[in-house]
Amino acid sequence: MQVYLPIAEMSANVFALLALGGAVGFLSGLFGVGGGFLMTPLLIFFGVPSAVAVATGANQVVASSVSGALAHWRHGNVDFKMGLMLLLGGAIGSTVGVSIFTMLRRLGQVDLLIQASYVVFLGAIGAMMVIESARAWLRSRNPSAPRRKLHIHTWVHGLPLKMRFRRSKLYISAIAPVSIGIFAGVMSAIMGVGGGFVMVPAMIYILGMPTSVVIGTSLFQIIFVMANVTFLQAYSNQTVDIVLATILLVGAVIGAQFGTVVGTRLKAEQLRAALGLIVLLVGLRVAWELVATPPDVFSIAPLGLQ
Amino acid sequence: MKARILAVFLAFCATPAAAQAPLVADISSREIAITTGFAGAELLLFGAVEGRGDIAVVVRGPRRSATVRQKSRVGGVWVNTHSREYLNLPAYYRAAASRPIERIAPRAVLDRYEIGEDHVQFALAPGQSSDDFDTYREAFLRNMAYLGLYAGGEGQVSVVDRRLFRTTVSFPANVPTGLYGVEMYLFRDGRLITRRTTPLVVRKVGLESQIYDYAHEQAATYGLIAIVVALVAGWTAGAVFRRA
Repeated sequence: MQVYLPIAEMSANVFALLALGGAVGFLSGLFGVGGGFLMTPLLIFFGVPSAVAVATGANQVVASSVSGALAHWRHGNVDFKMGLMLLLGGAIGSTVGVSIFTMLRRLGQVDLLIQASYVVFLGAIGAMMVIESARAWLRSRNPSAPRRKLHIHTWVHGLPLKMRFRRSKLYISAIAPVSIGIFAGVMSAIMGVGGGFVMVPAMIYILGMPTSVVIGTSLFQIIFVMANVTFLQAYSNQTVDIVLATILLVGAVIGAQFGTVVGTRLKAEQLRAALGLIVLLVGLRVAWELVATPPDVFSIAPLGLQ
Repeated sequence: MKARILAVFLAFCATPAAAQAPLVADISSREIAITTGFAGAELLLFGAVEGRGDIAVVVRGPRRSATVRQKSRVGGVWVNTHSREYLNLPAYYRAAASRPIERIAPRAVLDRYEIGEDHVQFALAPGQSSDDFDTYREAFLRNMAYLGLYAGGEGQVSVVDRRLFRTTVSFPANVPTGLYGVEMYLFRDGRLITRRTTPLVVRKVGLESQIYDYAHEQAATYGLIAIVVALVAGWTAGAVFRRA
């Protein structure tokens, strides 16, 4: 059954879109991430114009992070104070990101920006996750190896404006979470992702937050950042396709349910390694598109009104 | 649908008036409505001619400015480096003729009426370089054909009894909205005898058009609605999850 997407201005098969949403939802339920980093490139691959894919991806991430954050909030795994600091940064970052996006869209370089961001971030983070989980796996096989220290003092602890974060059991400078928020916010706007896959490692390794609070807090923050991105993209670029977002949502909600069930049966290291591998593969796929000779070196920009 | 078109066609052919004017023509519909299930459309263009002659049909979409971009390898990566901007190019174009177009009329006449894809006039925007003019022109035609908005060639107008003619024109799902012109030309010995222009409207109707208009006219409210829809959907999903 074909459905016409009014903003993407194309017709697509409803069941293909539901399956796409379902597959991404399955992975997001499995790994506890928003799944935007998979959704946006898949939509572009599907033929959705990249500007629409990024903006609609953001809209869809709002929904999936609300349902995720709710579940974590019930278990008391959201550090609202930390979330608000990240959010402050996220609001600044996403606003800056959308204006960079709008400017580059005018210059005709937005596809390059999106693709390059994907390659750099997905490549680096995927590789880091794979290496880290391989190490964890090796350590678990060799118990005599020295364990990591529980609390490491880094440059982050030397910054001013210190604040107490009770739920995270931390006393650190507010500058650190705000900066992480800004960075993730810029990326969210440019890539149409929640930025969970950047914030989660940053919160664990840079801020030293306990893993149990990290995902809930990042999802809480993502809701607001992606809502901001959705609004700004809709307002300045008119690229949010509400029909497309709704269809993807329905698929994602169902997929996430299955993903969560499967996720509880797997070990944490296995999950991290698998997620890292998927992130890395998506990054490599996008890199290939940048490097491989395109079938036609000429392209036409969307036709403008006279 | 097919049967109805045929009935209209036959009724039209039976009209005695058809025999009087040198060229009478019509299309099976004056409007293409883009609805939720829209997956493209096909129109039948038909008519009758008095006496011998060649028929050419052109369907032209609304005029738009267009930018053709060229990628080249910069530091191992493909980047958009050069571009050309044109004014007033049809966003959709189809041509069909009863004989190969070049044999119907001299080049100057075809250029003047823009009959045939090779005769569509490319006007560079002010300040644009005219280097590689043909390369960019061909790139535009090729890419538009890939999108299904141009045909990459001409269609065939079939003539019955040297009097009745017909051709079908297809519109892809991504057809641009706006006012189209359906032009039918009658040539005799390379001279234009007469032409008929019929307007054709392509527009989004119902929910699709409302959503599109709303997104552009009430961008802020639209953005807020998109967020509310996502929040409610997420919340509902959360509630369902909890029960499951």
